[in-house]
Amino acid sequence: MLVGSKVDYDISNLYIPKDVKEDIDYQKSFSATLTIIVRDKDGKVIKKYKQKSHSPTANFIGLMLPLTWYNTTGNSWTFTTTSNTTFTYQPTLKANGYGVAYPNNQNDYNTYIINIIVGSGSSSNPYNAYNLNAPISNGSGTGQLLYSSISTPTSITINGSQAYFIISQSYANQSGGTITISEVGIILNLQTENSISENINTGQVLVWYDALSSPISLSNGQSATIYYTFSVNA
Amino acid sequence: MLVSEQIPKEDLDYILEPFKEDNKEDNKQIISEKIIAIVRDAKGNIIDKREQKMKSLTQYYLALMSIPILGTYSSPTSTTATSILTNVLDLPSRQSVYNNYSADIIFDTSIQLGSGTQSFSPTLNSLASPISNGSGTGQLYYYSQSVLYTSNSISQLLIVSNNSGNTITVSEIGLMGTIYIEYYNSSNVYTQQPYNFLFSYDTFSSPISIPNGGSASFQIIITFSG
Repeated sequence: MLVGSKVDYDISNLYIPKDVKEDIDYQKSFSATLTIIVRDKDGKVIKKYKQKSHSPTANFIGLMLPLTWYNTTGNSWTFTTTSNTTFTYQPTLKANGYGVAYPNNQNDYNTYIINIIVGSGSSSNPYNAYNLNAPISNGSGTGQLLYSSISTPTSITINGSQAYFIISQSYANQSGGTITISEVGIILNLQTENSISENINTGQVLVWYDALSSPISLSNGQSATIYYTFSVNA
Repeated sequence: MLVSEQIPKEDLDYILEPFKEDNKEDNKQIISEKIIAIVRDAKGNIIDKREQKMKSLTQYYLALMSIPILGTYSSPTSTTATSILTNVLDLPSRQSVYNNYSADIIFDTSIQLGSGTQSFSPTLNSLASPISNGSGTGQLYYYSQSVLYTSNSISQLLIVSNNSGNTITVSEIGLMGTIYIEYYNSSNVYTQQPYNFLFSYDTFSSPISIPNGGSASFQIIITFSG
């Protein structure tokens, strides 16, 4: 065997890069953008806002780790739901192995995006966030916004070397007062199970979180549309 | 109900407009990608060390990322997969399974090295000239790969050795991905259906030579800076 102790040293001293913002010549590959368009009661655009989106949560990371990580470490991942309950996940590639539920002709356990949820608070530790700090509920009462249906992409758009997809949702203020949006997140209804439909774990999990650099205020009668753009090679 | 609808043009123009702000905080990247290569000779001495930015994620990686964001189902009540999974990854809209069972999806990644070069495209699905696993002419021996997760970073590590008898030159590197759908088929036989993709593709600024008897480690690091 040619791989000896010195390579073992390389393995045990894996280098984790510094924050990329220090590298001025960096050509980015992945980016996420949060865009908000505010309209008055007549549908006229009165404000446009855009910021870089920074914050996948721990729930997102757990779903992006490949099987090799689970197999070599023997670890499971603990998901925290928006209700602050937890469930664990350890995918395996074997009979009765666990994974994320997939559509089929027998038993469906729908895993789907629920909402781009908005709130009026702010979290200082987005990675560990399991819900918005102060979610704004759906409705037309005091402090509420009317959530439209979420719009999801039919495909990935390619423009030269760039590829992206956009999700969006609109919110109307019919509360009678002004409502301020200062935080935004994406909530997924996650169901993990094995292929013989045993031990289904279910939960609504926050997978993405952003605090707005500048909160957006919606007067009564105004509406806002939030767009998340996920792109590579932009 | 989830809907897929046209985005108003005035909104889309603004969404796709490049950032004008030069604010450090706003321009902070959420993910940085790096490739690191360390080459050793037959005696274990380091003879080359590279570190460069990974630049080229494909649409397939973006589609993989859609799973924790959009899920696998197109709506709360739908019995079909999301459009991205079917249109981009060509996964089945609905997996046929054995009576009263179900299906699930998982994925894995691995590093592939190559000796060619090609122009990048988001739809690229293979290296130009992959170096196969073995000890024959033109081959590298691929050891088991590992993945580490530390401080919001996912790092894939590959170690290879060159037992081919000649120097092997590595000029391209890719993160390969396999998405599996697990299910019991109509005959009640456990099945894992693989779908293979190229998640990233990069060429080295100058090719890396691994001498006969030498070894090399390659890392692809994706960091979620949160």
